[in-house]
Amino acid sequence: MSTARLVARNEWRLMQRSRVARLALFMLLALATVATFTSIAHRNASDDLRARFQAQADQEFDGQPARHPHRMVHYGHFVFRPLPALAAFDPGVDAFTGNTIYLEGHRQNSANFGDVRQSSLLARFGQLTPAFVLQVLAPLVLVFIGFGLLAGERRSGTLRVLKAHGVTPRDLLLGKGLALAGLAGLMLLPALASLGWLVIAAEAPALPALALALGYAGYLALWVLGIVIVSAIARDPRNALVTLLGLWALTTVLVPRVAPDLALAAVATPTRLETDIAILRDLRKIGDSHNPDDPHFAAFKARTLAQYGVSRVEDLPVNYRGLLALEGEKLTSQLFDDYAKRQFEQQRRQGAIVSGFGLASPAIALRSMSMALAGTDLDGHRRFLTQAEAYRYDVVQRLNRLQAEAVTYSDDSNRNKDPEAGRRVRIDPANWSKVPDFAYQPASLAEKLRSALPGAAVLILWLLAATWLLRRAARRLGEAL
Amino acid sequence: MKRAMTSPDSAQPLILVDQVSLDRGNRRVLDQVSLTVAAGEIYALLGGNGAGKSTTLSALLGFLRPASGALEVAGIDPVSQHDQACARIAYLPENVALYDQLTACENIAYFMALAGAEPDRASMDRALDAAGLQVEARDRRVSGFSKGMRQKVAIAMAVLRDVPVLLLDEPTSGLDPRATADFNALLARLKARGTAILMVTHDLLGAADCADRIGFLASGRIVEEVRPADGIDVLALHHRYGEAAAA
Repeated sequence: MSTARLVARNEWRLMQRSRVARLALFMLLALATVATFTSIAHRNASDDLRARFQAQADQEFDGQPARHPHRMVHYGHFVFRPLPALAAFDPGVDAFTGNTIYLEGHRQNSANFGDVRQSSLLARFGQLTPAFVLQVLAPLVLVFIGFGLLAGERRSGTLRVLKAHGVTPRDLLLGKGLALAGLAGLMLLPALASLGWLVIAAEAPALPALALALGYAGYLALWVLGIVIVSAIARDPRNALVTLLGLWALTTVLVPRVAPDLALAAVATPTRLETDIAILRDLRKIGDSHNPDDPHFAAFKARTLAQYGVSRVEDLPVNYRGLLALEGEKLTSQLFDDYAKRQFEQQRRQGAIVSGFGLASPAIALRSMSMALAGTDLDGHRRFLTQAEAYRYDVVQRLNRLQAEAVTYSDDSNRNKDPEAGRRVRIDPANWSKVPDFAYQPASLAEKLRSALPGAAVLILWLLAATWLLRRAARRLGEAL
Repeated sequence: MKRAMTSPDSAQPLILVDQVSLDRGNRRVLDQVSLTVAAGEIYALLGGNGAGKSTTLSALLGFLRPASGALEVAGIDPVSQHDQACARIAYLPENVALYDQLTACENIAYFMALAGAEPDRASMDRALDAAGLQVEARDRRVSGFSKGMRQKVAIAMAVLRDVPVLLLDEPTSGLDPRATADFNALLARLKARGTAILMVTHDLLGAADCADRIGFLASGRIVEEVRPADGIDVLALHHRYGEAAAA
C-alpha cells in the first residue's frame, strides 16, 4: 500500500474514533437527508399546486360565457411558472421572484418589475435544501473535523516521527487530503442520491444533474485542499481553526451577502413604485387608446381611413374600435418591453458584478453554477417573464382582432344604448377556447450549460490556485521540520 | 526488514559527522563538529541546553541541511537521500509522539507499515516484551500511558525495525531507575546485535554507565571526547562539564 494511502487509512481510523467527528458527520448527514426529503416534497407539492391552478385558470378562461372581446381582455388570465425537477435540489430564486403572473390588457403585471434585488444570492440563506447544506454547512463540518489534520500532528510531535519514518510532505498532504476527501464524499452521498432519484423518478435532465454533482464535488474538494493547506502551514491547531473559520465566514457568508449590496450600489435599480410612475408618465406621452381625441390616435385614424379609402370610421370594413385597441396595445407593450429590457440590463450588470465576486468567494461561483444547472436562476425567471409577456401580447391582440373582425363598429358604439347591439357584441364563447394555453419553454440543455460555464470556470480557477498553494504548503511543511 | 550493513567489528562507521557546520538564521549552532559511531558502538553526546545536541540529531535525520561538512548514515547522505537514510534509522525522540486514539500495537503497526514492514502480532509482542511493556497495556489506547510506557512503545518499534542506526534523544529523561536500568540493558542487547547508537543526553552518569564514548558539546563544538572504558574520572568530568550539561 502506498504511503499516502496508509496515512489516509490511519486518518480515517482516527476520525472514526473521534466523538466530535462522528457527531458532526452524523448531524450533517441527518440534515442533508432531511433537506433532501423536504425539498423534494416541497418541490412536488408546489409544482402540483401550480399545475392545478394553471389548469383551473385555463378552464375558467375557456369557460367564460359570451362576452365582448374587450371584456375578455380585462378579464385577463393567470399563468404559472412550472418548477423544474432540479429545483428540488436547488430552488434558486424561485421563492423570491414569484411564479405567477396575472396577464391583462394595457398592463404588464406582477414580477416583471418585481424587486428582485434581494434574490440574487444570500436571501436564500436559511432555506434547508441539499444545495444549502453542501454550500454552507458541509464546509463548516469539514473545517471542524479537518483543522488539526497536520497542525495537530505538528503539535503532538508525530509530524517529526512521520518524517523520520521517511514520510514525505507530499505523501502526508496527499494522505490527509484523501482522508478528508473521503469524508466529503460521504457528505455528498445524500445529495447524489437525491440527484439520482430526480433523474430516474422525476425525469430531471441527466447531464445538468451530473454537472451539478461534479460542481459540488469540486467545491468540497476545494474546501478539502484549503483545509489541508491551512492546517499544514498553521503554527498550531488553534490558529488553523481560527483561520479556517474566518475563511468560511468570509467566503460563504460575508462576501455573498455584501456582493449584491455592492452591485446594487454600483448599478442602481429603481423601485417598483418608481418604475410604475415612470411607465404611467410615459404612457401619457404616447397617448391613450381609449381616448379617440388623442393626437397619436387621431393620426392613426387618418392613416387607417386612408388605407381603406373611406372618409368615416363607420364605413370601414372592420371595427375601428378593435383597430384602436390593437394599436394601443402595440404601443403600450413596446413601452413595457423597453422598461423590461432596461431592467433586465441593469440586473445583468448587477449579476456580472456579483459573479465577479466569485473570484473572492467560490460559494458565489458555485451558487451561480448550481442555479443555472437547476434552471432556477434569475435568467430562468427572466425567461418566464419574457414568455409570459409574449403570451399576454398574443392573447390580448387575438381578442382585439376578434373585436375588430367579429364585432361591428355600429354595435360596439351602441352596445350600451341598444340592448340588441349589446347582445350582438357578446361573441361566441367558443372563441375563448381557441386561444392557446400558456406553455413555458425552459432553457435548453446548451443554454443551461452555457449559463453555468462562468461559475464552473471560476471554480476551476480556484481549484488550480489551491493546487499550486498545496505544493507550496508541502515545501513549507518539509522546511518546517 | 533486512539490515543494510551492520557488523560489530566493522571499521567503517555507520554514523559519520565530518566537520559539520550548521546555521539557524544568523546563528551558528554547529561549528566544525566531527564524530563517528561504528557498528556495535554507543556514543553519548552531552551538552547543556542550546549546545547543539538535538540539532546534530536533526541533521542526521535529514531535517536540517548543514552549511558545510559531510553527514552519512550507513553510508548514505541523509539530506540528499532522505528516504533511504530513514529506512536505516530508528529515532527515539525525547517526548515520544504517538497517536493517542490508537492502542500501543496499532501505533506500532502503523509506523512499521510506513517504514515498509508488516510485523505480525507475535513479533510485536516479542518486541514489546523486550521493551518491557506490560501485556495488559498493549491493546489499550496510549492516551493514558505514562512517559515511560510511551518510551517502551517507541523502543519496541526500534527493536522491530532492526535498523543499523539508532538515534536517541534524552532516552532516559523521566524514566524511573528501574526503567532506566531496563533501558540500558536493552541498549546493550541492541549494541550486541551490531546497532550503532547515538544518544544525546544531559545524564553524564547514565552515559558513563552505558556508552563506549562520550563527546562533550559546547556552543556547537565538541570540546572533549572520552572513553569510559579507559578509566575516566567521572567526578572530574562532572565538575568540568556536568553542571553545564545538566543546565
